[in-house]
Amino acid sequence: MSETLPSAGESDPGIVLEIDALYRRSPYWELDAADARTFVSAVPPGGEPRQANWSGEVLARSRVVDVNERAAHLVGALDGREEMIGRPIAEFWPPDSHDDLAELIAAVVTDPSPHATRTRDIASLLLQDPVLTVWRSPESGADTVFATVKGAMIDRRSYWSLRASEDRYRKLIHHMPNPLLRVDARVMGRVFERLRAEGVGDIDAYLDDHPELIAFAEQSVRITEANPAAAALFGVRSPADLIGSVECLFKASPETARRVTIAHFDRRRSHAEVMKLRTLDGRLLDVQIAVTFPTPPEQLDVTVIGLDDLTDRLRTEAQLRQLQADITRAARISTLGELATSIAHEVNQPLAAIFTNAETSLRWLSRDEPNLVKVVQLTTRIVASARHANEIVHRIRAMTSKHAPELLPLDLNDVVDEALLFLRHDIESRSIRLSTRLGLGLPRVIGDRVQLQQVIVNLLVNSVQAVAQADTRDGRVELSTGLGPGGEVVFVIRDNGPGIPEDDLDRIFEGFFTTKEEGMGLGLAICQSIMAAHGGGIAASNRPEGGASFRLWLPAEPEPA
Amino acid sequence: MSHVPVIAIVDDDEAMRDALSELIQVMGFSTEAFDGAAAFLADLAPGRFDCLITDVRMPGMDGIDLQRRLRALGSVMPVVMITSAPDPAGRARALQGGACAYLAKPVDDCALLGHLRSALGQDHRPGGRRDEDDSPGG
Repeated sequence: MSETLPSAGESDPGIVLEIDALYRRSPYWELDAADARTFVSAVPPGGEPRQANWSGEVLARSRVVDVNERAAHLVGALDGREEMIGRPIAEFWPPDSHDDLAELIAAVVTDPSPHATRTRDIASLLLQDPVLTVWRSPESGADTVFATVKGAMIDRRSYWSLRASEDRYRKLIHHMPNPLLRVDARVMGRVFERLRAEGVGDIDAYLDDHPELIAFAEQSVRITEANPAAAALFGVRSPADLIGSVECLFKASPETARRVTIAHFDRRRSHAEVMKLRTLDGRLLDVQIAVTFPTPPEQLDVTVIGLDDLTDRLRTEAQLRQLQADITRAARISTLGELATSIAHEVNQPLAAIFTNAETSLRWLSRDEPNLVKVVQLTTRIVASARHANEIVHRIRAMTSKHAPELLPLDLNDVVDEALLFLRHDIESRSIRLSTRLGLGLPRVIGDRVQLQQVIVNLLVNSVQAVAQADTRDGRVELSTGLGPGGEVVFVIRDNGPGIPEDDLDRIFEGFFTTKEEGMGLGLAICQSIMAAHGGGIAASNRPEGGASFRLWLPAEPEPA
Repeated sequence: MSHVPVIAIVDDDEAMRDALSELIQVMGFSTEAFDGAAAFLADLAPGRFDCLITDVRMPGMDGIDLQRRLRALGSVMPVVMITSAPDPAGRARALQGGACAYLAKPVDDCALLGHLRSALGQDHRPGGRRDEDDSPGG
């Protein structure tokens, strides 16, 4: 803060001229300071005991004689110019510079010179680099002082409305449930200007050569304000404990500091990412950091950093994924359980053939003249059947095993064939007619074989059960694959069972919705989530001629470029 | 004996059908294999087959229905049923329908031979007794 003291006792026409010009453009006050002078004479500013509210006392004793419209607008909006006349200036003057005004008034009224003038830089929310001038005029008598403030307007609103919005802003920040930091990064703004002036354009490359710039930024960019939520996040008692360098933010994520620096240099409006945060009490958190850099005409010392603790959310998401995988697997196994008879039959078939062929071979071998040609033929068949049995076992194991989804190009027709493996026997034993029309030359789809098998098995089981429930002599299940209107690969399964009650059509894909007494209601929900994960979908409808129809679709594998 | 008995085999599973044919041939019989009840019935003529071995579960007409059709046509041809999923209800239905045996897959060759001989009246074992489990109502 600087104070200009013009030489006492001399009239400076320059100042007067300037003041006349200012009168029109700048806020201007005429004050009656008689009481103030009495008070100041009794209690000088530097004197002992200095009263706690010395400035307030001086300003309470300085009454407004006149103000111009500018001054009324700037600080008197609540009352209007007329209401200000005769009232103490203390009621209108911005508190930030109470001390400045009081000290200058005291200096002027106690200065014996009739031209006494004092000038001082003050702080203001409204004006850029404001300069306060207080003076006395020989014409107006010893008790009248004038005051004016020179400086470019930052904000066209009046002080009080700005002050109110500043208060609202502070309250908002304070009560915000999200951790917020106000940061002064102006020092880096100046560094970046210099670098640009030196011709640095690629900050990325520059930082590779000058890693010390990031360390410098971390130390010199300062947190100037923090809210209670930020204090809680960092594990400190008070927001004041966070005031200081931003270094504490990036302890566990040095690369984040680098990316924030780059974003700032590149004059981006904001930068956000998920990073690890080491709190001041030693916890390691996953947080989303969002940095918003100021751009003119905003105050350049206000960079706002928002932090969002994602630790619980990420952990919950991981648990949910695990749970979903477990449920999917459990549902798969329970589906397989329902299909146990069918599967047992499927495995037993080649085993029975092996058994019988082996018995026959033994009979040929135990003859007086063994028929080795026959034995070779039978043994070859045994190998083929054993291989077949082995393949079935592999498929069942693949269905029940825990495996991470594997997205590979697939022929949907193969998946349908494999799914049928689990059900062919079930379908046959219920005397249900199964017809399969698989489209030829379909494009491949990208998907997880086991998951897609599971979806088709699920739909097949539902259809078979629906048809069996209908108890008709003529149960039918029709499967078909083909190309959809948008080039997608489509699988349709239709049955002639009782169909789906219209009221349930919208709900059948919801989890835990079931019409079966022993069902969990997860089958179709899992089908839907699997299809969604594949970028495809599933839809259900009733056929006009009776029975249900389910349609699956999957995007075709993109043509190689 | 100049006549070699002809055994009809009906099974939808090709590997099983072939295996049964080979086994029965090595036992000294002649065989005719069919992939389903319909094919067998289409080929059926009086005196053409001496015995039928059929799978129980098959698409279209199953073994039980096939036996019913056979009896309805007045045939007294002995029928041996083979199933990979034996159950008491199925056994009862098979035997009540006139089957001479209801066997689980994989079949024991000696048991099958015994049943075939008994069905064909070639049983040379003392008393000519059938396996208890396979007698009707047993």
